[in-house]
Amino acid sequence: MTPNFAPVSSLTYSQAVAEIEDILRMMQADTLDIDLLAAYTRRATELVAECRRRLTETDRELQTILNPQQ
Amino acid sequence: MEALTLLQLNQRIAALVVTPATQNVWVTAELSDVAVRGGHCYMELLQKDPASGRTLAKARAAIWANQFVSIRSGFYAATGQDFVSGLKVMVRICVSMHPVYGMSLVINAVNPDYTMGDLLRRRNEMIARLKAEGIFDMNHSLIPAEPILRVAVISAEGAAGYGDFMNQLANDPLRLRFVTKLFPAVMQGERTARSVMDALAAIEAEESRWDIVVIIRGGGATSDLLGFEDYDLAAAVARFPLPVMVGIGHERDVTILDYVACIRVKTPTAAAEWLIAKGKECIDRLNTLAREIVIAVSGYVSGCKEQLGAIEGRLPAMPGMVITRRSARLDRLAMGLQQLSSRALAPHVQRLDNLTLALRRTGSEITAPRRLVLERMSTALQGFAANAVATRRTRLDAMAQLLGALSPEATLRRGYSITRIDGHAVTDASAVVPGSVIHTTLANGTLVSRTQ
Repeated sequence: MTPNFAPVSSLTYSQAVAEIEDILRMMQADTLDIDLLAAYTRRATELVAECRRRLTETDRELQTILNPQQ
Repeated sequence: MEALTLLQLNQRIAALVVTPATQNVWVTAELSDVAVRGGHCYMELLQKDPASGRTLAKARAAIWANQFVSIRSGFYAATGQDFVSGLKVMVRICVSMHPVYGMSLVINAVNPDYTMGDLLRRRNEMIARLKAEGIFDMNHSLIPAEPILRVAVISAEGAAGYGDFMNQLANDPLRLRFVTKLFPAVMQGERTARSVMDALAAIEAEESRWDIVVIIRGGGATSDLLGFEDYDLAAAVARFPLPVMVGIGHERDVTILDYVACIRVKTPTAAAEWLIAKGKECIDRLNTLAREIVIAVSGYVSGCKEQLGAIEGRLPAMPGMVITRRSARLDRLAMGLQQLSSRALAPHVQRLDNLTLALRRTGSEITAPRRLVLERMSTALQGFAANAVATRRTRLDAMAQLLGALSPEATLRRGYSITRIDGHAVTDASAVVPGSVIHTTLANGTLVSRTQ
């Protein structure tokens, strides 16, 4: 019953966010099959964690890039 | 024969020459070999054939020191030109004859408008020609490739203006890395144009090494810009592949080069300042870009964080809400189903009830008369039965009376008896074996006896 999700590492940040929003929309619109709810929730959580991780990483990198002397 | 002394002759000449006709007359001429010695200005006045350039007339002239200062400054103020060779001038002359120094033309006034008009006319002719040849705007419309740091300088070696320029660049507070190279040239006099063109050719030969050409002179008190008023030089600058900046005069000094060069500044110092300002512009733009990058990037990242934060805030509650809504929907569905089914069943139930009722009614309608009949029949039957029984009983009673009269008991009472052996009535005495026990039943009691 688990849909075929692309590996999170293969997604760009924008793609990941777009997918999360799609999932949220589906949940809000109640178009999501209850059988898939757990799978999609897990997927959304994974995506959020991945996005959060990348954001933090980017933030740290930017600090290094923008303040090279520090 | 009496001879004149030389002095007398000179005095006679002087008397002939120095007349009202030669005093304070305005004369037009071209200046040549201008030289200042001891505050006095000495020069040759020329008249050339405009077509051939051949000298038609020539005379020595001078401006004495007591007048030269004011004439020079007035001339400079009006024309932006020093009093130098090559200019066309209108001067007021007194012819003088000195017994020792000979005849000379003493200039006591100059009409700068004439020179000015001549310069303008010449310059306008050059501009018109440059435009006609389509090169006037060529250098002017070049856009210097930034950053402008590699500077080819055309100036006179050791000139004050060049020193000013280099000092200014060296003291640049931004410490831009300017690379300069001097291409020395004569910056005044008749050789100016040729010399500057040679320097331009030398730069063009290594064009790729330079961003800009700076032609500077000046700093000194004299301002001999006539050398730059040259068509060939102007054309060379106009056609030059690199942007050319000129800073060869002061406030009011304008030469033809100022019209064709890409950039025009007033002084060598201003040329250096221009370069520094351009460099600062580049740095400022870089700084601005850097700031904008920082702002854009942090804005973008914080936007992402906000978005993600909002999602993270919503996400945990979302599946639960889905389930809540779904179960509410299920409840609604169930209730709806119930309502629907009961609504659908109701007519059927009603009909069944009706049928049952009708059936019951119909049934009793059918059975009631029958029951009545039955009841009547039953009553009748009971009547009949009782009659029949009574009749039979009467008859039986009669028969019983008759039977009583005919019964063994009645017979016995009349004296008859019954003899039985072993329970069997004995009707034949021969059949009785002696010694048998016989039971004789009388009307009252029984006799037991043994036969003999």
